[in-house]
Amino acid sequence: MVFSPHLLSAATLRAALLANREQALTRLYRQTFPAVRRHVSRHGGSAEDAQDIFHDALVILYEHAVGETLALTAAPGTYLVSIARNLWRHEQRRRARLPQDALPDDPGLLAAEAAPAPEETGFAVLDYVERLGAKCKSVLLAFYYFQQPLTQIAEANGYRSVRSATVQKFKCLERLRQAVRAVFSTETTEY
Amino acid sequence: MRPELERLRLIEQQLQGGPAALPADEWNLRLLLDGELQADAAAQQQLYQGLRLAGRRQLRQELVEIHTRLYGPPASPWARLWQRMKPW
Repeated sequence: MVFSPHLLSAATLRAALLANREQALTRLYRQTFPAVRRHVSRHGGSAEDAQDIFHDALVILYEHAVGETLALTAAPGTYLVSIARNLWRHEQRRRARLPQDALPDDPGLLAAEAAPAPEETGFAVLDYVERLGAKCKSVLLAFYYFQQPLTQIAEANGYRSVRSATVQKFKCLERLRQAVRAVFSTETTEY
Repeated sequence: MRPELERLRLIEQQLQGGPAALPADEWNLRLLLDGELQADAAAQQQLYQGLRLAGRRQLRQELVEIHTRLYGPPASPWARLWQRMKPW
């Protein structure tokens, strides 16, 4: 999908991200990252800081866009730069309090600080998601995180119908539930 | 679908709160009649939190790949450390 960075509504951005995430993100990246890198560089950050901050901003934009909670009053690129500037200001204040710290190697840690902390069990479940087979993981993440429609998931994974994709999605969720429950019940009985 | 999958779907619809969710009275009645339903719903909510974290991890990996395609691979860990420590 071709879009102009200046005329993009939230709905069009969402449609572009769902239709071809890699293409839409690459276009946003190319259009916007240089401005973020310049800003971070002029305000005492490194190229790696700029990259980390930009990725955090893109995750925020993605989640709001596909979750239909994004109200764009400017071009997505402008909005992205604004998020990144806020994140960098937040990071600078954090470093001023703890001057020996730089950005963590895992940028997810910064987002975890900025966002409400998920339940610890969410982190425990994360390990079991990684251990699911590639297809189950792909189906679950496509539906629950990337919010792709089931028609698209069915087509991408070779299911004959939306109903087949739905059943497969719940089978995968059941596998995850069983794996997590088995471990939690083992841990409980060990005490 | 198998009954255990239908149960996942029922809980999912309730947690999402969309048009397919049961009216509050009916859901509360089910909670009264089914002693495990509350715990199962809480456990399913935790699965969704884990999937959200896993999704974020994958999205960040995809962004690293896009960055590498556009601007080349990131500097080595030693180069990053030097960049952070240098006084100029």
